[in-house]
Amino acid sequence: MQQHRYWLGAGLLALASAGHAAAPSNEELQKQIAALKKAVEALQQQLDQNAQASKAAPAVPAATAVAASDAAGAPATREDLQGVQADLENFKYQVQRDRDTATATSTRALNVGGTIQARAAYSTQNTSTPAATPAGVVNDRNSSFDVPTAILAFTGNLYKDYDEGRNLGYRLSAGASQQTASNNSFLNLLDAYLTYSVLPTIDPATPRLDVAFGQQLLPFGLEVPATEDLKPVILNAQFTTRLGLAQRQIGLIARGDFDPVVDYGYNYRAPLLSYAFGVVNGNGPNTSDNNSAKDWVGRLAFTVPSDYNSWWRQLTVGGSFYRGKANLFVPGSSTLVGTGDRVRYGLDVTYNHEPFGITYEYIQGRDDTPIGTTQANTKVASIKSDSHTATFFYNFGEQFVKGFRAQGRYDDWWPKSYQPFFRYDRFDPNTDKTSDESTVYTAGLNVFFAQTTKFQLNVNYTDDKAKSLSYSDFLAQFQFGF
Amino acid sequence: MKTLFRFAAAALAFALGADAIAAGAPKVIRIGVSQVGTGNRPVVGGSTIGVVASRGEIEEEFRKDGIKVEWNYFKGAGPAANEALANKLLDFIFQGDMASLVGRSSGLKSKIIVAQTRNGPGYIAVPTGGNEQSIDDLKGKKLAVFKGTAGQLQLARVFDQKGLAERDFRTINMDTATTQAAIATKDIDGGLFGADIFPLVDRGIARVIQKTGPEFGLTSHVLVTEDFEKQYPEIVQRFVNVVVKTQAWVGDEKNRDQVFQQWAKSGTPYSAFKRDYEGTSLKERQSPLLDENFYAHYRDSLALAKKFKLVRGDIDIDQWFEPKYLKQALKEQKLEGYWAELNVAGKPKLAAK
Repeated sequence: MQQHRYWLGAGLLALASAGHAAAPSNEELQKQIAALKKAVEALQQQLDQNAQASKAAPAVPAATAVAASDAAGAPATREDLQGVQADLENFKYQVQRDRDTATATSTRALNVGGTIQARAAYSTQNTSTPAATPAGVVNDRNSSFDVPTAILAFTGNLYKDYDEGRNLGYRLSAGASQQTASNNSFLNLLDAYLTYSVLPTIDPATPRLDVAFGQQLLPFGLEVPATEDLKPVILNAQFTTRLGLAQRQIGLIARGDFDPVVDYGYNYRAPLLSYAFGVVNGNGPNTSDNNSAKDWVGRLAFTVPSDYNSWWRQLTVGGSFYRGKANLFVPGSSTLVGTGDRVRYGLDVTYNHEPFGITYEYIQGRDDTPIGTTQANTKVASIKSDSHTATFFYNFGEQFVKGFRAQGRYDDWWPKSYQPFFRYDRFDPNTDKTSDESTVYTAGLNVFFAQTTKFQLNVNYTDDKAKSLSYSDFLAQFQFGF
Repeated sequence: MKTLFRFAAAALAFALGADAIAAGAPKVIRIGVSQVGTGNRPVVGGSTIGVVASRGEIEEEFRKDGIKVEWNYFKGAGPAANEALANKLLDFIFQGDMASLVGRSSGLKSKIIVAQTRNGPGYIAVPTGGNEQSIDDLKGKKLAVFKGTAGQLQLARVFDQKGLAERDFRTINMDTATTQAAIATKDIDGGLFGADIFPLVDRGIARVIQKTGPEFGLTSHVLVTEDFEKQYPEIVQRFVNVVVKTQAWVGDEKNRDQVFQQWAKSGTPYSAFKRDYEGTSLKERQSPLLDENFYAHYRDSLALAKKFKLVRGDIDIDQWFEPKYLKQALKEQKLEGYWAELNVAGKPKLAAK
């Protein structure tokens, strides 16, 4: 090694000195050539030695050889460390610059999300609507493109309890939603509430109790508390809107569970009892209460205790109630005659056993309704309504298998899934009156083709006895979240 | 309208029956791996199956038959694989002892066909800066356990030896990645780790207070669903042939560096595996044999899991194991005697060749 360095150095020196000389003699040139020859020979000798050494050693890939020598404890050089340091400094600079110039920040942890639906609809029943202004008139419409839901949501925590998980969180969402009684083009406030976990949430085997204060969905039955992104059917069940349960309400609601069965072998948790109880204004979102009486809502559900791999898995029976007071007016006027009862009871059964599921909800409503023409002659009658909603679905694909979705993958992989379903939805607005019920049969298919995106195809057949109409609707919709 | 609904009903009935109609050679072999690499990458280290997957050896074996191979790496480890198996989404699973005991005891129909790892040490580690010297010093403190996995059973063995129980600690269910993050932020007071502890030790984040011995060994295997095994025994045999061939390569000490390099693609560095395997041979820890020692381990594991109420049902271990594919693979590849057969006590019955 030393020898070849010597000859190479001598050769290079000779060349360098030649560069400064005016004109080397033949003798000098011969000397330089000889020096260079010796340098080349020394290099060739070293190359041969290396080749012989590598033949003697076992054949291993180059990368392995390098790593093996690293692993053998070859020390890093100052240049190596400087390289790493430079990379680190570059990274720190880039992170700081991106944070300063291209990063959205918030005071507390924030998760921004949203749900959007884009829909095409065709109906065999034409719709005509008179209106006071030309913009409101609908003239024999049988098809339309719509964006029925567009929601922007912010969620996060205000205090994170690392020790026991008694976190203080929030949710704020705004947009247009089927579950909001608004049809304007403004963003309406949907959810706006604070949540606090009263009981620790670290251990899945312990019971939970969360309280939520603010504007939120009601914990009533199955369909009412389901958020827009979770519903299999495009249109809500009739009772949710006709009994006013779909509206978000402002108030305080506690939700919790008791005696959970935890099957760690499948990462499955199913509480024996889950409950909710709360008090709300009762007159919908984004407004103060219109009387001093508060409405009460509650739900109790029992889930059959079972392991995950059991036919009893996720068989739940629940009961719900809603009791409140509504202002009563002389029909057709704003003359107040007092307050009347607004009562809802619900019974529901769920058997959600991947790959299929069945849900059934029975709802009964009782509304005090004024009848009369003046304050003096107005009487209050109690009108009973009821509803039956049943859904059957079957899943092809892995969309709903939680553990399967959480896979390590390089690409934007997501299990494609297909969910055909059928729903029966009957609502009778007055059980004392005959032939006024409305029944909607829906056959549909949901195609989940990306993590938060699905395509929905629904065919509704509506038999509206009150209007003596029967017609079909064809709805196609993309729903996507972010 | 009635016609439309009849059509919809017929389409639904067809769709429901489609799975039942399917038969013949499988179009796809679905393999579940109860592990992910660092950052959720679909590469795992520490086992032969990781090498088999990285090299695409199963794909190569079945390419000529036009059979697709699908690998599923579960972040939720064994419990997630059980969930997938219960929903009939997998044919083969690489899994640890604990999760498969739970699965089998709760009715999942499977057969253990080849062993993967045994005698793997565990490392009980704490955040740096504390004074804990042994697991006894963690009593009453927050201890991370990935429940439902082989790690939980490994920890149960440690508890059992010392007369401890989970209730003596504030055990918190955490997956591997979360445990690594939590020990760095000192949100936990201790946890059980594998070779992945060494990068944390090197960074000054964690300190190992106890290394478990072979008697507490982490054990894993490959199993196949009973349905698949009954329907496609030839495919199962070819699958085992591939695994055993690679297992022989892994067990050859001259390949030690290459094996660790291959495993390091999972994100756990070469040096971590090197230290984890110090003083032990690859052939010993990566033996495919379903020998007396392996049977005994599962019988002991079942007894311990029942004692700690980690599983409820019973299991006939003899019925659960199906060694015929392994025997055939060893015979075909002239590997009989390549690995030392161990007796119940873990001592060699016959020395390895």
